[in-house]
Amino acid sequence: MNFELSDEQQLLQDSVARFVSDNYDLESRTKLVAGKSGFSKEHWSTMAELGWFSLPFTEADGGFGGNQIDTMVVMEQIGKGLVVEPFYASVVLGGGILRRAANQDQKTALLPGVIDGSRQLALAYAEEQARFDLHDVTTTARPDNGAFVINGHKSMVANAETATQIIVSARTSGGQIDENGISLFLVDADAEGVKLENFPTVDGLRASEVTFKDVSVDASNLLGELDGGFSVLNETANDAILALSAEAVGAMEVLYKDTVDYTQEREQFDHPLSDFQVLQHRMVEMFMEYEQCRSLLYRATLEAAQGDSATAQRTIHALKHMVGKVGSFIGESAVQLHGGMGMTEELRIGHYFKRLVVIDAQFGNADYHLQKFAA
Amino acid sequence: MDIELSTEDLAFRDEVRAFFSENEYKPGEDYNQWRLDWFAKAREKGGWDIPKWPTDFGGPGWSPTQHYIWEQETAVVNLPWDMPFGIGMLAPVLMAYGNKEQQERFLPDIRARKVNWCQGYSEPGAGSDLAALKTKAVLSEDGSHYTVNGTKMWTTMAQIADWIFCLTRTDDSGIKQQGITFLLFPMNQQGIEIKPIITLGGAHTINTVFITDVKVPVENRIGEEGKAWTYAKGLLQHERTGLAGISRSIIALEKLKNQAGTVKRGNATLMDEPGFRAKVAELEVDLMAAEFTELRSLASASAGAAPGPESSILKLKGTEIQQRIQKLTVEAGGIYSAAWGAKPVGPSFAKGGMGGYLASRAYTIYGGASEVQKDVIAKNVLGLKRSR
Ligand SMILES: Cc1cc2nc3c(=O)[nH]c(=O)nc-3n(C[C@H](O)[C@H](O)[C@H](O)COP(=O)(O)OP(=O)(O)OC[C@H]3O[C@@H](n4cnc5c(N)ncnc54)[C@H](O)[C@@H]3O)c2cc1C
Repeated sequence: MNFELSDEQQLLQDSVARFVSDNYDLESRTKLVAGKSGFSKEHWSTMAELGWFSLPFTEADGGFGGNQIDTMVVMEQIGKGLVVEPFYASVVLGGGILRRAANQDQKTALLPGVIDGSRQLALAYAEEQARFDLHDVTTTARPDNGAFVINGHKSMVANAETATQIIVSARTSGGQIDENGISLFLVDADAEGVKLENFPTVDGLRASEVTFKDVSVDASNLLGELDGGFSVLNETANDAILALSAEAVGAMEVLYKDTVDYTQEREQFDHPLSDFQVLQHRMVEMFMEYEQCRSLLYRATLEAAQGDSATAQRTIHALKHMVGKVGSFIGESAVQLHGGMGMTEELRIGHYFKRLVVIDAQFGNADYHLQKFAA
Repeated sequence: MDIELSTEDLAFRDEVRAFFSENEYKPGEDYNQWRLDWFAKAREKGGWDIPKWPTDFGGPGWSPTQHYIWEQETAVVNLPWDMPFGIGMLAPVLMAYGNKEQQERFLPDIRARKVNWCQGYSEPGAGSDLAALKTKAVLSEDGSHYTVNGTKMWTTMAQIADWIFCLTRTDDSGIKQQGITFLLFPMNQQGIEIKPIITLGGAHTINTVFITDVKVPVENRIGEEGKAWTYAKGLLQHERTGLAGISRSIIALEKLKNQAGTVKRGNATLMDEPGFRAKVAELEVDLMAAEFTELRSLASASAGAAPGPESSILKLKGTEIQQRIQKLTVEAGGIYSAAWGAKPVGPSFAKGGMGGYLASRAYTIYGGASEVQKDVIAKNVLGLKRSR
């Protein structure tokens, strides 16, 4: 048993941490968020140069041959800095589908661009009626003379605005909620019939409503097996949950530590706030819950990296439940203990809190995963 | 003990309902004109524009049951926009500690909603520990006016306020609860600078107010110099009882149930999901109890008794309930609650849910932060010695 990072992972962590501390104070982030694309193209190139985007891909695919542990290392630091560049959307989600489902030709065509950052991906899976169910799909893809014609509406698609390609889940057979009959397609973001409506999200990121109207793609754009997209989607969702949870744990650490610092500086009633027992206990709770999340994150990530999918699946449900519940507890507590200051946009804690609230709703919230866990 | 509404009470309820429906806002109407007319008509009903003011000052003198009916009925209609600062917070202080002249000068405009007030209590160094306030007021040698210097913080709606009621320090030689003086002055004058504070939901409701060499005539001092701590504490009590919002929460929870009922889950809806359903049910249980806690508190207040122990828990319970409802609204919206653009995305109720949730985090901070309120209850109600 060993919970230490390997030397390589340690180097990776140091490098991401350095990037974050060099580039991500609240002011710089606020500027990026308000800017045109919502992130920095320069940062994006730097990340590519640092090799982050090659992590999850095999060496044969031109990657680094890493696993979920490496992604966790990166995402935790991303969470600590509230980084806005679309590593998660492009590499974890888009890349996750490609490395599982793409054939050799598709990989040769796409992966070099993903790894060098010139290509950005988005995964369009959510539909309003589905809430958090990946298998509830009404978007359709109809075969048509060696092509497929896609029709439907996908929601809250992260990074669609800057993606060069959008991967979309569509029904090719079966009923609306059947796991069988879902297929994955690669669609150029500027293809005819693809309409984007872009908007900000409360956590400073961007999302889009994406409509597909008679979008025709060549059959060579089918990713993986016809009708067999669900398992790829589900495995990628599990990767996403691990990544989001690592991000959340990074954010929780900042929140509890900032709160411990602030209560030692702020004086009321001629004492630092940290002298008051009720606040000490609340901070101890924040700390304990954060440590519990970290433990479950390790457990789920290690199980997933070992490839034990049935065990990992259950732990991943447990993890996403806990991260959602604890995320709001820690976020709300941090705000409460900062008093009025916690309610302002001027301090960073509010921004971390908002990110945690959104993470709870991504790929199923605390209730949803508890129910899956108990099922 | 009995909870039946009498025939008179039922008649009163009908009268209230009739009043609301007769004076409803009609789309297209000039809003501000409607608002002022509404209050004028409510006044003609015999003090319905100031339900909580005592009869000596024109209040309706309702029974607790009538107050309760009013609360219930107002929760379901669109009342004209109103701010609590003049009507609910300053007015009781003027009635208790202001002189006749001050009452005649300020109360009519407060009642007519002609003048907007803001509350200048908190400062950068004085939040929970309000008595630590430092804004200085120095009396001129001829005793005609004070010169005020200092910084007020978190001042809600200072940007639209005409006047401020302000706690200032006139003496710092004794314990900090002594030497605090209650002054009123206009906001629109030289020496007052307002800087917005943007809150988590992106809204501008609060401000920092910088006060530099502002001259305030002594006639604008309420009560005695240096004695305002007692007045201010009384005022905070009024602020708190207004913050529980139980009737509004009951309506808000009903609304949430309807909204969640539109979120489809296969053949069922979100309301059928065990986790969500249980949280809604728990809220309902708490609200059933809180509603009666509020009634008990109303009853003891009208019997002229000091607010009983039950009233001290209302602000804490009420705000916590409001926060839980807001949180569940965000949960019901699912991922759509994250959308932050101009256009709604996903279920129609999802827009606004997040802003409401974020804003609700302040409910347990202002009007006495929850932790400090619990200290007050421990000391005043349970009779415990102050801990740390
Ligand atoms: C949206 C909003 C609107 C407001 N509007 C107004 C207004 O119009 N006018 C006005 O004057 N003020 C206003 N306020 C200020 C409000 O009254 C203060 O925020 C409040 O009194 C808390 O003070 P603080 O923010 O300085 O927090 P602090 O006093 O610094 O408290 C921070 C945390 O420490 C805790 N704490 C403090 N002391 C103790 C203790 N002894 N034991 C245990 N815990 C303790 C608190 O409970 C809180 O959780 C507003 C605040 C907000 C957020």
